[in-house]
Amino acid sequence: MKSNLEVENLIVEKDKEVGKEMAKLGNKIEIRDLSMYYDSFKVLENITMSIPCRSIVALIGPSGCGKSSLLRCINRMNDLIPNSKVEGEILLDGENIYNPSCEVIELRRRVGMVFQKPNPFPKSVYDNVSFGPQVMGIDNKKEMDEIVEASLKKAALWDEVKDKLRTSALSLSGGQQQRLCIARALAVQPEVILFDEPCSALDPVATQKIEDLLIELKENYTIVIVTHNMQQAARISDITAFLLMEVQGEPGRLIEYSDTNKIFTNPSDYRTERYITGRFG
Amino acid sequence: MKATRVDRIATFFFWILGMISVGILFIIVGEIFARGLFIALKPSFFLGKPEAMKEGGGILPMIVSSIYLAVLTLLISLPLSLGAAIYLAEYSRGGKITRFIRFCADSLSSLPSIVFGLFGLAIFVVRLGWGYCLISGAFTLALLNLPTLMRSAEESLKSVPKTYREASLSLGASRWTTVRQVVVPSSLPGIITGTVLSIGRIMGESAALIFTTGTFIRKIPLNPFQTAAPLAVNIWYTQSEALVPDYRNIVNGGAAFLLLMVLVVNLVARYIGKFYRRRKGLS
Amino acid sequence: MLSISGPSLFIKQAMDYLRSIRKRELHIKVLLMICASVTFVGLLLIFIFVFRESLPAFTRLGLPNLFSTHWNPDVSHPEAGNYGMLPFVVGTLYTTLGGLLVGAPLGIGSAIFIDQIAPPKIGTAIGRGIELIASIPSVVIGWFGLTLLVPMIGRLTDTSGFGILAASLVLGVMVLPTIAALSLESLRALPSELKEAAYGMGATRWQTIYKVLLPAARRGVLVAVILGMGRAIGEAMAVQMVIGNSRQLTFSLTNGTSTLAARIVTDMGESSGVFRSALFAQGLILLILAMLLILTIRLVSREKKETVR
Repeated sequence: MKSNLEVENLIVEKDKEVGKEMAKLGNKIEIRDLSMYYDSFKVLENITMSIPCRSIVALIGPSGCGKSSLLRCINRMNDLIPNSKVEGEILLDGENIYNPSCEVIELRRRVGMVFQKPNPFPKSVYDNVSFGPQVMGIDNKKEMDEIVEASLKKAALWDEVKDKLRTSALSLSGGQQQRLCIARALAVQPEVILFDEPCSALDPVATQKIEDLLIELKENYTIVIVTHNMQQAARISDITAFLLMEVQGEPGRLIEYSDTNKIFTNPSDYRTERYITGRFG
Repeated sequence: MKATRVDRIATFFFWILGMISVGILFIIVGEIFARGLFIALKPSFFLGKPEAMKEGGGILPMIVSSIYLAVLTLLISLPLSLGAAIYLAEYSRGGKITRFIRFCADSLSSLPSIVFGLFGLAIFVVRLGWGYCLISGAFTLALLNLPTLMRSAEESLKSVPKTYREASLSLGASRWTTVRQVVVPSSLPGIITGTVLSIGRIMGESAALIFTTGTFIRKIPLNPFQTAAPLAVNIWYTQSEALVPDYRNIVNGGAAFLLLMVLVVNLVARYIGKFYRRRKGLS
Repeated sequence: MLSISGPSLFIKQAMDYLRSIRKRELHIKVLLMICASVTFVGLLLIFIFVFRESLPAFTRLGLPNLFSTHWNPDVSHPEAGNYGMLPFVVGTLYTTLGGLLVGAPLGIGSAIFIDQIAPPKIGTAIGRGIELIASIPSVVIGWFGLTLLVPMIGRLTDTSGFGILAASLVLGVMVLPTIAALSLESLRALPSELKEAAYGMGATRWQTIYKVLLPAARRGVLVAVILGMGRAIGEAMAVQMVIGNSRQLTFSLTNGTSTLAARIVTDMGESSGVFRSALFAQGLILLILAMLLILTIRLVSREKKETVR
């Protein structure tokens, strides 16, 4: 028992240091020369970008430009699609996640994901949050209660659901469901969280709550978000990536990648400007 | 107008066809029940012991055989079909192997049940030396039922939203964990409905069983290696051998009882499906 | 906020999980593959065993004997008997045709009725009813035929009532739900624009059905009929109960005869040796017929895909 605890403490200490160092060092994720194919169709071409630790990076661009595909490359969710293929590399803490030695399951634990539509399991609120830890083998009731509570608190949902932890997650409102999904992702203690248009199915009030939450989460997590809503990208992100498929049938390319401020006030590429002004003004 | 008149005649004609089809159901069910329901529901009949040569026999061992056989068959075919369905729906990626397995399943499901009976006789009864018994019949029927069970399980698995799988996998759950903890529980109502429906088919099956389970018994079979006589098989045997003087009564009652069992099983399956749909609609 | 934050507590747990599942995932995949392969192994075993058991009939009796018109198994001197299955092949084809003549119009007509003509509630009810016909055990349908149809035919035609007509009627009832369900499925799969376009041009309902919907769904309906045919060819019990089980080659509707499947049911009990093997040979014929039908269906549905492209 004791030694276990000590080991854990050690890990915690070490982690904090590593975290701090990373924060200083900067890049959590590096995408290098990434191209992606579905069958023989090239979806993305030569994407290169660095995503700093504890920041929010927004991926914007017209629909079909491959921003969701790019996002799904980062935790290898694209593996699920038959005949998808990736070239180039994505480094997570300096290690290529497309190396054969990389464990996809561990990768997905470290890089969580929140989807477009809230997708809670048809289980109770509690069971949704405890799903990940339980899968990992945590069977201590008390420990689990703590994790569930902490995760729900971090997702700013605890106060709303603490009295109905045993009711079905499907009875929550859309915004609550999405925050539940965030809590569920947080419960496995990820380092990076990917958001795939998390607010597209929500009303403005619920959207506001999620945005506030994202900014709070930035303190501890690295966040990559795909969004259709440019105000949202401008409001919450530190860095913005603009992707574009210039001609139908060509792959999506990274047009511009820089500070959100710069992208929205003084973009260096005329295509970015055209897109921003067309949609933003 | 000529066209509208033709149309009216055609419409009338299709009404007739539709009514005949459903009329057939009512005539058969009505006729069988009118002949035998009165006998079938007498406790001395459905709880009674069969007679080999004289009047007044019952059918309890046959009913027990049918139920016992259904349980054994499902014990064999349910895990196999569920496993196969999971493999097809969750693991294989629609390649050549999948297509081949599907072809085999389609072929298997189109084989006449008498061929399964011959096969069961050759392999289980003779080659493996199990003789006419429940387990020979159960293995035969398990193979017979495999494609349908597999198909219905596969369809229920596929109806589980993709987003559930994505959510689970994105939390770092492995594929099997995802299947076991998310996909299968969500598709359980569909799987249960399919299973219940197959119970009805097992109870009604006879051609695959006359050479595998046995056709007449007097004692309730306890051991699966004991000879049995499922009700459907026994009805055929009783009417074709006509050894007892009141064989018409026995067959009338047996047929009514069998039909009743099968209809009840089907209604239960439908009720489960409906119940589930309603619950889903609410949430 | 609680103390757990950052990627700490989980590292050990996650590593344990990883270690525990790595092998398990592989084992499970292999296990599931084995389950899936049971369909193939089963099919193969059926072929092997039915073929092996029927082999003596081919080698010791020879094809001329097996395909002659006389079925006179001699139980005391099996190899001296006649094992001609031709009357039963004819009987099978005859009753199948008869069953389809009864069941196909009813099935296809009911499917059109449910899809196009009936008010939704009545349509659903009739669809359910037809589904229920499929669940009636074949011995029950056989008993119904034996007690109601056979005497009726007997009275009307002044014969015993047993024979191809009775068998065809019984088979018609049995193929009806198969044909109706599959036809309905292919009608429902048609795009609704098709129907709207036809009505838009001022076609009547009958013209739409006859000129637009049926041609568009014809492959699906064809598959339905072929599958119904498969059921009719292989049905043993119900047919055996009403066909009379005599051994003659006949083309009359009301003469007793037999089919392959019914002959197996009738004779298997007292058969042995080469007699039994001859019955297995009949089973082999049924097996081959069923496989031919499934290959035909494959062909029909493959053409469908090509024409769509």
